[in-house]
Amino acid sequence: MKKSGFILVIDSYLVRKGMVSLLNHLQGISILQEFHNTESLASYLLKQSVDFIIISQSLFKASADLFISDPALLEKIVLLKDGDSGKKKEGESASQVHASIHLSEEKEKIVGKIQALLDQGKFKNRDLAPAELSPRETTIVRLVSMGLTNRQIADNLFLSAHTVMTHRKNISSKLGIKSVSGLTVYAIVNNIITIEEVTSLPAE
Amino acid sequence: MYRVVTEHPQLLPLFPRFNLKLGFGEKSVEEVCEDYHVNADFFLEIAKAYLDDLYVPAEGLSLFSLTTMVNYIASTHKYYTEIALPGVEEKIHSLLDHSSLSKKEIALVRGFFNDYKKDFLAHISEEEQHILPYILELERQSALKRADPEFIQKLKSYTIREFEKEHDRLETSLKHLSTLIIKYLPPFDDLQLCHQVLNDLSALVRDLVDHANMEDKVLVPRVAELEEKLLNTSFPG
Repeated sequence: MKKSGFILVIDSYLVRKGMVSLLNHLQGISILQEFHNTESLASYLLKQSVDFIIISQSLFKASADLFISDPALLEKIVLLKDGDSGKKKEGESASQVHASIHLSEEKEKIVGKIQALLDQGKFKNRDLAPAELSPRETTIVRLVSMGLTNRQIADNLFLSAHTVMTHRKNISSKLGIKSVSGLTVYAIVNNIITIEEVTSLPAE
Repeated sequence: MYRVVTEHPQLLPLFPRFNLKLGFGEKSVEEVCEDYHVNADFFLEIAKAYLDDLYVPAEGLSLFSLTTMVNYIASTHKYYTEIALPGVEEKIHSLLDHSSLSKKEIALVRGFFNDYKKDFLAHISEEEQHILPYILELERQSALKRADPEFIQKLKSYTIREFEKEHDRLETSLKHLSTLIIKYLPPFDDLQLCHQVLNDLSALVRDLVDHANMEDKVLVPRVAELEEKLLNTSFPG
């Protein structure tokens, strides 16, 4: 099973290490990186894909503009609250975050919340075809990998050869892959096709 | 220098790029660099960036001339084309030769790697023939009191930002190849060689990420800055 990647953005050393120790007891989690401030966070997130970001409330507030503009990022946030839990006075942005954990909570409750996150994650990223290709494009990648020519693909999908060409161009520019062998391997590693279904020998 | 290498053996691929050789005895980094006419500060900046993906050496490297950077990039290309790529290619072929994979699977991997190599070499050759000479010329022109009008004309039609748009991320395909081996191909008999291939691939991916960072985050912004300066001084107001 694919592990969910967590990063921790927590200023307090003790809280951070405590969280690490707790996460290490759970299955299906990999801690990708720990941060004690938000300095290099933005550049990290550009390069690395993460599933969840556990971040202390103060650091979240301090770097709110990084998250607010990006709904996909907000969805990954697990807010670590330290304030008075009696007063439910959350900022507007905080209400859109994925989940929150309060520092005063007991182990079972925190574990339960994290487990719930992991369960949701399972449905979300099943390692299927990436969203970057449209369903039509995905179909075409599949047929290309099965060794069909553009003409055959056009006949198969009741499209004009010209339309297929346009799709092919869009696919290549989206993925940065031009060759048939490249697309075939892409299709295999993204579960668009199984290796058994690949019939053609790519041209040498 | 001994401690640098023993603590960070992953830096070894950098050595040929600076023409640094082992066997340096008790010498410090500074002394070794001096022996080989390498700017020690530059070497250290590059090494830091190489070790830490998150370290953006923009500020540190702005102290060095574009020529120094271009030379480093050219020697990195040389490392790819003469050492890293042929090395992993040979291992992949040997792995396939002694495997029990079907003809179809072998053809797929071979075809994939051949196409990848073509793309890779085309990318590097484009940089070597056009981009790097352009940057050197840009720096030369900027140092002149009055830049060549012809060059300024050219500058108006082409800027480095165009290049940035075309900058393919070559590492993605290599990751696909690793994934293919790890997840989808039948297991190879020669486990040791297979592990070497995977190690080589992942080292090359890391190297390429570092290289792309260097180009996109350090080189391109500085070239763009220089372009703008040159255009402004040639067409004030």
